[in-house]
Amino acid sequence: MSKKRLVFSKLNMAKFISHLDLLRCFTRAITRAGLPVRYSNGFNPHQKITFSLPLPVGVTGERECVDIDFEDAVTDGEITDRLNRSLPPDIRIISAGEPQHNASAIVSAAYRISLISDSEIGKAALDHFFALPEVAITKKTKKKGENTVNLMDYIKGCTFVSEEQTGGGFETQFELILAAGGQKNLKPELALNALEEYLKPVQVLSRSVHRYRIFCEEDGVLTEFA
Amino acid sequence: MKKYSDKYKSKYESCLSRVEKPARYIGNEFGSVHKDITDDMVTFAFCFPDVYEVGMSHLGMKILYHMMNERSDSVCERVFAPWDDMEKEMRSAGIPLLTMESCLPVRSFDIVGFTLQYEMSYSNIVNMLDLAEIPLMAADRTEDDPFVCCGGPCAYHAEPLSDFVDFFILGEGEDVNNEILDVYKQWRGSGKDRDEFLMSLVALGGIYVPKFYDVEFNADNTIKRFEPNRAGIPKTVKKRIIMDLDKTFIPKQLVVPFTETVHDRIMLEIFRGCIRGCRFCQAGYIYRPVRERSTDTLLDTAAACIANTGYEEMSLSSLSTSDYTNLNELIDGLLDMTVDKRINLSLPSLRVDNFSMELLEKVQKVKKSGLTFAPEAGTQRLRDVINKNVTEDDLIRTSGIAFRGGYNRIKLYFMLGLPTETYDDVRGIAELGKKVIDEGFFSIPPEDRKGRSVSITLSTSFFVPKPFTPFQWEPQDKISEMENKAAFLKKNINSKKIVYNWHNSDISLLEAVFAKGDRRLSKVLVTAHELGCKFDGWSDFFDFDKWLEAFRINNIDPEFYANRRIPYDEILPWDYADIGVSKEFLMREHKRAYEEKTTPDCRSACSACGAAEFSGGVCFE
Repeated sequence: MSKKRLVFSKLNMAKFISHLDLLRCFTRAITRAGLPVRYSNGFNPHQKITFSLPLPVGVTGERECVDIDFEDAVTDGEITDRLNRSLPPDIRIISAGEPQHNASAIVSAAYRISLISDSEIGKAALDHFFALPEVAITKKTKKKGENTVNLMDYIKGCTFVSEEQTGGGFETQFELILAAGGQKNLKPELALNALEEYLKPVQVLSRSVHRYRIFCEEDGVLTEFA
Repeated sequence: MKKYSDKYKSKYESCLSRVEKPARYIGNEFGSVHKDITDDMVTFAFCFPDVYEVGMSHLGMKILYHMMNERSDSVCERVFAPWDDMEKEMRSAGIPLLTMESCLPVRSFDIVGFTLQYEMSYSNIVNMLDLAEIPLMAADRTEDDPFVCCGGPCAYHAEPLSDFVDFFILGEGEDVNNEILDVYKQWRGSGKDRDEFLMSLVALGGIYVPKFYDVEFNADNTIKRFEPNRAGIPKTVKKRIIMDLDKTFIPKQLVVPFTETVHDRIMLEIFRGCIRGCRFCQAGYIYRPVRERSTDTLLDTAAACIANTGYEEMSLSSLSTSDYTNLNELIDGLLDMTVDKRINLSLPSLRVDNFSMELLEKVQKVKKSGLTFAPEAGTQRLRDVINKNVTEDDLIRTSGIAFRGGYNRIKLYFMLGLPTETYDDVRGIAELGKKVIDEGFFSIPPEDRKGRSVSITLSTSFFVPKPFTPFQWEPQDKISEMENKAAFLKKNINSKKIVYNWHNSDISLLEAVFAKGDRRLSKVLVTAHELGCKFDGWSDFFDFDKWLEAFRINNIDPEFYANRRIPYDEILPWDYADIGVSKEFLMREHKRAYEEKTTPDCRSACSACGAAEFSGGVCFE
């Protein structure tokens, strides 16, 4: 019996697959691949699959993690190859291996954001917004309630990347590191909603959000979750 | 010039971030087929006039999609009706209806085919043509437009759609769809006009081209004349069917959706047709004769589908599943390959007269699900009228088996408004429910009952007289009468262990109108579409007042179609279709219904319905 951590990407239209649908997709892919997955005991046995940090709907991911329990020995290469043959094209396994960290150690995630707006946003406006001491936002709690929190408590970093005029308007790209994991978590959507509100009268016409890294903290050191 | 361009793809993608359930629009599922489309291919857009979750549950689409895509010279892509929120996004962004696989405009395809599974999808067909920017009227289409065709069970009586459709395909599509693609290849580039293409299709058999027939009406709106208007066009069109189900295309690689669909499982089609001949049931006549697939073929197919899909459930698909001759052998074989893999096997269509404990034990090996039986009518008299050859004793015995087997919820399905029905028959439904509890459950010694309590759900729908049944000449109850009957039944149920629910009466009227309607209804569909009617099968959308207005605007009385008794000698709007079962047989059956005489099933005795002319199946067993 062994637990493997698979790193996978979820790109293109696959970003619209919800967490529950993704779980079903993996379950069926594992069955098709004929991999010796372990089932839970109980009345309704299910495959032992756990996603380390669920990806919000509408966000693409390039190094997402999922843990799968296997009954028998199966090599990392075999898992990767067989699953890639059984998964739909927009979900790809990058690697498989022993889990290095505990998912409870996840503290943040890095996103690459691209905003298309009707006029220029500018690096200065971005820097200014993310340097504000306090921006109140409303966050849903797990118990279907709402909570007002300071957005800035969840922002771990923002780096301007580029800005250019395109056919459809101005494209601004930046990287955002947000608190993530069991302790403190923020969906990029909430940060971007607040930013777009701040940027008015500049109108953001569309946004794309891509998660490219997940980080955990181990003995006080920030490292990529693996 | 490149005809196929995916210029809408990125706009379409940005719509998805603003709609509910975006995963139903993304395609790219495991098993979906993506081809590089070249101008020499024949392109077929297979449209299901409902949302993805419904359409992806349809077996016929799975068969034809994979079959057409096996050909290197053709491509078939799927199209579903976008839900209201997505439609608004698409319209405001100027995006026409697109195919799932390549995000290409449906209008750029050569043939656009709709499957007609139920009448309440007709408004969606009109809406989808509109969204596709294809001229609604077949008469307005030019060389630059696709051909619009329709198949599926309603194609046998689809005159209300005749203005919109270039041709209808009658019967089973496996052979004829391939032939249509071949004919299209020969026609394209030949310099011949659209009518000449349609003429070549007619020669294939099973093709009904509405524009090749003239219909004249009498002053009282009945049909005076229904005749071909050119040489070489047959007066009636015989359906095309597959005689050897072991030698036809069976898909073994299915598309596995991301989202949960209505039937999210492997559907193993074990036979077509039904030996029973229940007199209200259209499927029981149009799919005749019964043709079975061999157990060997089914086991091979099942094994391949399990390996290729990863589904956790498989269901046997047919009418009256327990009539399969080798059922025990088949189920044993299937259980051998499913139990270890934790795959649930379900038998959806069971009759109460041949239900055994053995069968029950077999199907519940993996997971226990609810049981549904359909006695259809509350008294023996009325069950004899409709030729539903099950008795009260069968039902009570079967319920007892189920209760002993650990089930404590049974759903019983009935129809209200059947021909000759009286209020005694309606009361009989309540009484039958009570007997199942008293005699089926409480007669079992408490120590043998698995559950402590019992719950019966009685569910009624309103009878809709359907073409190609012995009841095709019957009037439907008026809405007020339907509602009186449902209220009367509710009043007669006085046990807390019985739950009663019933279907909408307005929609049953509309279903009868479009099932039995003629060409004049095309204009009602256009008006209804303009008034915003769509998704009529969904209670969130169905708006009966809009439909009544559409009828009023066109000066058409819906009751003429639904509530009128039709004389035997009247020309019927669906007389163009020859399903192999003769009108004389349906008349005989209609008369026997009024004599309260039952007719034996096809395996017990042949009743000479006419389907033997197909020279196969149960008629020659």
